[in-house]
Amino acid sequence: MANGPSSEHARLIRKLETITTLSGDEKEALTTIPLRLKSFVEDTDLSPEGAAPTESCLVVDGLVCRYRLLGAGQRQIMSLHLPGDIPDLQSLHLSVMDHSLGSLTSGRAAYLPHAAVRDLTDRFPNITAALWRDTLIDAAITREWLAGVGRRTAHQRIAHLVCEVFVRSRALQLVEEGAFELPITQAELGDATGLSTVHVNRVLQDLRRDDLITWRGRSILVLDWERLRLAADFDAGYLHLLDEPSILTPRASRLRSGLAD
Amino acid sequence: MVSRLTANLQLYGALSADEQRAVENMVISTRAVAAGEDLVVEGDAPTHCRVLLEGQAFRHKTLPDGRRQIMAFHIPGDVCDLQGLFLGMDHNVTSLSAGEIGLIPHAKLTEVMEVHPRSARAFWSTSLVEAAVFREWMVGMGRRSAYARIAHLFCEMVVRMRAAGLVHQNRCSFPITQQHLSDALGLSAVHTNRTLQALRGEGLLTFQGGELVIMDWPGLTAAGEFDAGYLHQAGKSA
Repeated sequence: MANGPSSEHARLIRKLETITTLSGDEKEALTTIPLRLKSFVEDTDLSPEGAAPTESCLVVDGLVCRYRLLGAGQRQIMSLHLPGDIPDLQSLHLSVMDHSLGSLTSGRAAYLPHAAVRDLTDRFPNITAALWRDTLIDAAITREWLAGVGRRTAHQRIAHLVCEVFVRSRALQLVEEGAFELPITQAELGDATGLSTVHVNRVLQDLRRDDLITWRGRSILVLDWERLRLAADFDAGYLHLLDEPSILTPRASRLRSGLAD
Repeated sequence: MVSRLTANLQLYGALSADEQRAVENMVISTRAVAAGEDLVVEGDAPTHCRVLLEGQAFRHKTLPDGRRQIMAFHIPGDVCDLQGLFLGMDHNVTSLSAGEIGLIPHAKLTEVMEVHPRSARAFWSTSLVEAAVFREWMVGMGRRSAYARIAHLFCEMVVRMRAAGLVHQNRCSFPITQQHLSDALGLSAVHTNRTLQALRGEGLLTFQGGELVIMDWPGLTAAGEFDAGYLHQAGKSA
């Protein structure tokens, strides 16, 4: 690594190191993946439903979501993705996109050719394990959202989403003095939680009034993490982060100790 | 019926005879399970994977306030806890009916996947399809009516069971109660009951005593706004 990894490769490695341990060789191998860089503006499809991509998209900057459009023009946002995520990694093995990947803000993406990723996964079992693990955590996040839409109140859903993005951002070192970026509109928040914009607005006012968070422009400041976590009924165990500080319940601690196995 | 595992994997990519044998030989033992038995529970750090060979099971999580969310139903050929290979269990898997499971030691699975990369891709694909199913359920819960949700779930199960050779004519076993249905779809028991009656009344299906009979497949897929694409069964859609 004469010149060190590019900042885009470094993003990918930093993300993977929040969920797994990589050797020097494995990190070096990851930096050999050729990247095609592309800037995007907000509300752009990076990988549309029905496409059969030959590359996967690494988010370098900006906020990206997976979504589906339904018949009546309704949209369900199914996940939010931060810099370092590869939201359509599944296209490595499932050829046709069953949802769309779209930007919520402007930003930059780096596209990884599937052929190069397959070559690495064939040669480095631990890279396969790392990427597979990432897709399993992604599935765990989806299950948590599923439980949220099915069983949580509007307040819990929104507070839960804020907690999740806070903890994920912190793992990626994107939180500064309790503040992190969540550049999402109230309509988009409604699409992610299955709530109307009016309902979202009311819940956000409550969260502010209760001094749990303040929302300024693109940024959220967490004022009282412990109370926010309780309001959300949030347990970070499902994120399976290696270094999540001990805000966890006994149940999640047991899950974490399972990782040592 | 260890061949159910290889049949399931081959929905997502062909395996050679050698690869199939290697995969089937990973199942070191099988055992009978009773209905309602917990196969793996939240907090477990499994050292084996459990593949369902007979009978059905479901994935669920109980929220702190006691409400249960069911997140998937499993049929023979499914590995119930493949995620345990890389992550601790953050939910439970419980059997729905008496059946049989096979045990695969993680060490053996890892070894076979290293020797046979195509088997690794197939296993990984099954976990990616599971994730696609979770997303589809989320869309349903967020955006579909009770009527469409129930129709959609039945369509999903029929397509999956048909690919596994478990649909005979237009019938299949789906041993769940209305309570399971409610907990899977975020509906009240009353609402579930009424909606099932409506689906029956329109001549789309009957569902009684754990047996699902499809009376009008095109009608049911239309009612569920169902498109099997998210199941990624290459060339095997219903």
